[in-house]
Amino acid sequence: MQHRFNMNGDEVEVTLSKTDEGWVWEGVTVNRHDRGRLHVTMADGRTALVHAAKVGDVWWVHLDGHTVALERMEPGASSQQHGGGLVAPMPGKVLETLVEPGETVQAGQALMVLEAMKMEHRIVAAHDGTVTAVHHQAGEQVSQGAVLLELEESN
Amino acid sequence: MMKKILVANRGEIACRVLRACREAGLKTVAVCAPNDRGTLFTELADEVVMLEGDTITTTYLDQAQIIEAARSTGTDGIHPGFGFLSERADFAQAVMDAGLVWIGPSPHAIEQMGDKMTARKTMKAAGVPVIPGEEVETEDEAEALIALKEAAERVGYPLLLKASSGGGGKGMRAVSSPAAFEEAAVAARREAVAAFGDGRIYVERLLSGSKHIEIQVLADRTGATVHLGERECSVQRRHQKVFEEAPGPTMTDDLREAMGAAAVAAAQAVTYEGAGTVEFLLAPSGEFFFLEMNTRIQVEHPVTELVTGVDIVREQLRIADGLPMSCSDLHLRGHAIEVRLYAEDPANGFLPAIGPLTVFRPPEGPGIRLDTGVREGDEVTPNYDPMLAKLIVWAPSRDEALERMRRALDEFVVLGTTTNVRFLRELCDNEDVVSGATTTTTIEDRWPNGWAPQRDEALANAALACAAAAESFGMHRNSTSSGGTDRADGPVSPFATLSRRYP
Repeated sequence: MQHRFNMNGDEVEVTLSKTDEGWVWEGVTVNRHDRGRLHVTMADGRTALVHAAKVGDVWWVHLDGHTVALERMEPGASSQQHGGGLVAPMPGKVLETLVEPGETVQAGQALMVLEAMKMEHRIVAAHDGTVTAVHHQAGEQVSQGAVLLELEESN
Repeated sequence: MMKKILVANRGEIACRVLRACREAGLKTVAVCAPNDRGTLFTELADEVVMLEGDTITTTYLDQAQIIEAARSTGTDGIHPGFGFLSERADFAQAVMDAGLVWIGPSPHAIEQMGDKMTARKTMKAAGVPVIPGEEVETEDEAEALIALKEAAERVGYPLLLKASSGGGGKGMRAVSSPAAFEEAAVAARREAVAAFGDGRIYVERLLSGSKHIEIQVLADRTGATVHLGERECSVQRRHQKVFEEAPGPTMTDDLREAMGAAAVAAAQAVTYEGAGTVEFLLAPSGEFFFLEMNTRIQVEHPVTELVTGVDIVREQLRIADGLPMSCSDLHLRGHAIEVRLYAEDPANGFLPAIGPLTVFRPPEGPGIRLDTGVREGDEVTPNYDPMLAKLIVWAPSRDEALERMRRALDEFVVLGTTTNVRFLRELCDNEDVVSGATTTTTIEDRWPNGWAPQRDEALANAALACAAAAESFGMHRNSTSSGGTDRADGPVSPFATLSRRYP
């Protein structure tokens, strides 16, 4: 049985082999323990009881004091990143927009100031380019992941 | 004697206070914003008054609405918890004017300590050492900037700019050189004006390598003022504490006595009543300096409770009734550590996270205390502070307390929302934490480029296999996959200063 996951931005394929009670992959044996838990034997022999829960497309796995979030990718789907958009790292309020559409900016230049969770955050250009759009103005509330401005990379 | 208490707060600290009231045989009233409906603290109160409003300002900060809730329910006294209205002298006064008992110090004491510049002056007069620095009282922005710049030259770099009304890192900037001064001062002023409506800034020398040590004090109306020893809360990220302990790992009896006496003098200088905390910086030289006094119960009060055996909230209730406090001479026993569990992503600059608490299984067993306002199935929203819980352990020695904390954090399962559990767990292995040589810059020093979990390939592979197997077993059909983060709360700003400070 094959599954694909997005692990910190990397696409990983997991092909499970069936055993009597569970599944094996790369020397890792996984059996069902109860409703929300698995029993795992790792490749290096460590064993653990594992909590697993799915929220949306993401499997949350708690294993030996570590928590890992793995987005399951439906067959045929590909990971998509928003092209030149600069997104809000968390919900907040735009304090100041420092650039206008058409403006040329340099990598590292501050484009917008966001206030979130009691602190000011600067949205900076990741590369040299031209601002093609500014979607939010000072005073506006933005949600996490909202595209704040768009930047076309200069060649 | 009070018979019924209204708790003007929410979440974890509301739960803490409501439980103390229940234990004391007092009836309780909770006030609840619409977006808090059904949360844990509302279940712990005898009565719940729903507040009207969709922002913090129109709910938990709405003095008139809260006092009306107290009136309509026949409440005798109001406990403010921490944050929100707890350090608002005008609220304390309004509560008393309404004929209710204010469970806290006098409005005058709150004012004296709440304004940082006034507090510095009061402390100097009382003989309590303050950090070398200068106050600038000018209101006009341009004039203030010039005066600050001049003060900065006299104080010397590196220095800290602090908002006189500030706290919790807001309106505060570290400045390493004159070149960076102006931008930092403008930003600090802007933050301070936005958060507190007061742009006054003062300058303090930045004492690097210092420890944050605070002394818990209690004072009652019979004239008794005592201290309950220290807490060390040096380990901070973004000027917010994450790891607190009592006693301080490097504290000596002599220093405790000296700092305790200074804290008591600070409290007496403002005729303090109730529970309060005097914060100090302890420099590498062994000198200590007054930072500020928090005129309310503190987030990290449980570590003091565990090593002194004093129930601080219960003492607050007693003192507010005019009774003498029940604790006497200080006896410290064992060691206690608290960590603050946050919904945040430590691998991404500690940015706050939101999501469902699909699984929330706190650790159990000997020496463990959990103070929380959430339970499994709740949703973490951006409406309020992202602190989920305080995990506190007690053990006979510091080494054993650290061992217990490691075990407890390994057991703590939170699925559905990113938390700092792993960060806290690795912190327990940090060299400086283990040796007790923690300072206010421990986190930046150890992880200058930000924290990332230690790599464990075998574990990463096992996690992948588990996720795949869970999918193949069809376990997701058992999961409460709420998934969404939208609880239709409306346009509530989480950032409209949920509290003056959350230390």
